Amino acid sequence: MLIRILEDIALMSGIGVILALILVLAQRWLSNYGEVTININGKRDLTVTGGNSLLSSLSDEQIFIPSACGGRGTCGACKCQVLEGGGPILPTEKPLLTKAEMADNVRLSCQVKVKSDIKIQIPEAIFNIRRFNSVIEEIVDYTYDIKGVTFKLNEGQSIDFKAGQYVQLETKPYEKIKQKVMRAYSISSKPEIRDRIQLIIRLVPEGVCTTWVHTQLKVGDKVDFTGAYGDFYLRDTAADILFVAGGSGSAPIKSMLEHLQEVGTNRKMTYFFGARTTKDLYLDEEMRAFEEFFDDFEYVPVLSHATEAENWQGKTGYLMPYFKDAIRDPKNTEAYLCGSPGMIAAVTKSLINDYGIAEEKIYYDSFG
Amino acid sequence: MKHTPNDKKIMAKMQAGVITYSGFLGKDTRDFNQIIADDEMVLDELGKTAEEIANRLEYFQQKSFDAFEASTLVDKIYEVDTEVVRGYLPCPFMHQGVYRKSYTTITNTKSGKSFTYSALNIHLIRAHHFFEGKKSHFRLEPRELVAELF
Repeated sequence: MLIRILEDIALMSGIGVILALILVLAQRWLSNYGEVTININGKRDLTVTGGNSLLSSLSDEQIFIPSACGGRGTCGACKCQVLEGGGPILPTEKPLLTKAEMADNVRLSCQVKVKSDIKIQIPEAIFNIRRFNSVIEEIVDYTYDIKGVTFKLNEGQSIDFKAGQYVQLETKPYEKIKQKVMRAYSISSKPEIRDRIQLIIRLVPEGVCTTWVHTQLKVGDKVDFTGAYGDFYLRDTAADILFVAGGSGSAPIKSMLEHLQEVGTNRKMTYFFGARTTKDLYLDEEMRAFEEFFDDFEYVPVLSHATEAENWQGKTGYLMPYFKDAIRDPKNTEAYLCGSPGMIAAVTKSLINDYGIAEEKIYYDSFG
Repeated sequence: MKHTPNDKKIMAKMQAGVITYSGFLGKDTRDFNQIIADDEMVLDELGKTAEEIANRLEYFQQKSFDAFEASTLVDKIYEVDTEVVRGYLPCPFMHQGVYRKSYTTITNTKSGKSFTYSALNIHLIRAHHFFEGKKSHFRLEPRELVAELF
């Protein structure tokens, strides 16, 4: 009886092993797409092993499409045009694509599997994006929840970017966090310094990356990032400039001002910085130094929640009413905005409707 | 309680470090189905639905958005403030779409009681009746919400 039971167990186990082997072999055979070609912009062909996502296939070839969620299909940042060979739009992509984008063959590159030859269109600027390896050189506490972190690039590496652009920082697993994530942060240092960058990072409640930066990172740690990304950068014109930022939105503005300090300018510039209380103000000394340096630059911090105890003598409330003193010729004024979607919407609406600034001269980097 | 493969996937998404730093379950030892069932019992007792609560939270959040996220007084007694940071969060129940990282704080100026919630909380309550586990960062107590916001 016992032998019979053991024979049956052995038989069942054997069948299980055989089925598992068949499955493994079938998977290997069925998902073997061989070598496929990714044609980029009709100009360049990449030969890659099929079966991976478009995002990771390109990344393996050192072409970095922006992605904030690490290819999990949740951020919608890795959009690109797939002209041929991408298959149908997946249900995971639809919520993150507009009708116009779908009609224009825009896809989420993290969701498109490269199974056959594929033709894609991406902005030329993406070819300039590189992966960098760095060591943390300095960490400065700007406020109770904002840090400035300087990343020194490894020997032989240098970064080329425009003031206002951003990089994507890659976390490492820590505590209970097992996956790495990538998050976008504006560069706050000037582009003339090419062997290191500074980022200004605010602690986000429950944020995986910002918690890592604020609680784990220390001087000497190795950190990787890709960049530079983004079309929010300083335009090389002679127009007056209105800078407007809130929260950690000062980062790209600092980069732009440091760049202008380097190249020289006689443009009229005003920087409105919106914060809740005096505790949320930072880079004040740097901004006052810019006022000393530039012929025509004014820094205007505006607090929305100043308490009596703070004895704040500066401006309070909304930013918009204060613009009137800064705009001398709306036709010759550009605005650079960085902050929350609400702030961007309110300021944009006011600049267009109340002050007559042309929409196409308002450049912004919205957190939303 | 026996878990379906889908339940296991959801539980995995709710763990610390997957979507948020400390996850959606806090120190709660119950599984998410039990958390939902227990909160639904509280709602029944209070005569409110999850949708009514989600609508109320969304109402305050929208008032704050209408004021461009500046501090605003709603219905004469609720001070509402929203802060938006860069990025989006997906739903741990794997619903399609993502939710902006917006954090709204409502303070009932009569009682002094405050609640902070994200755009994702509204979705979780409306679509899944999920108020998060005890001691999780964004746990909302149905009993307190009903007492303070209606």
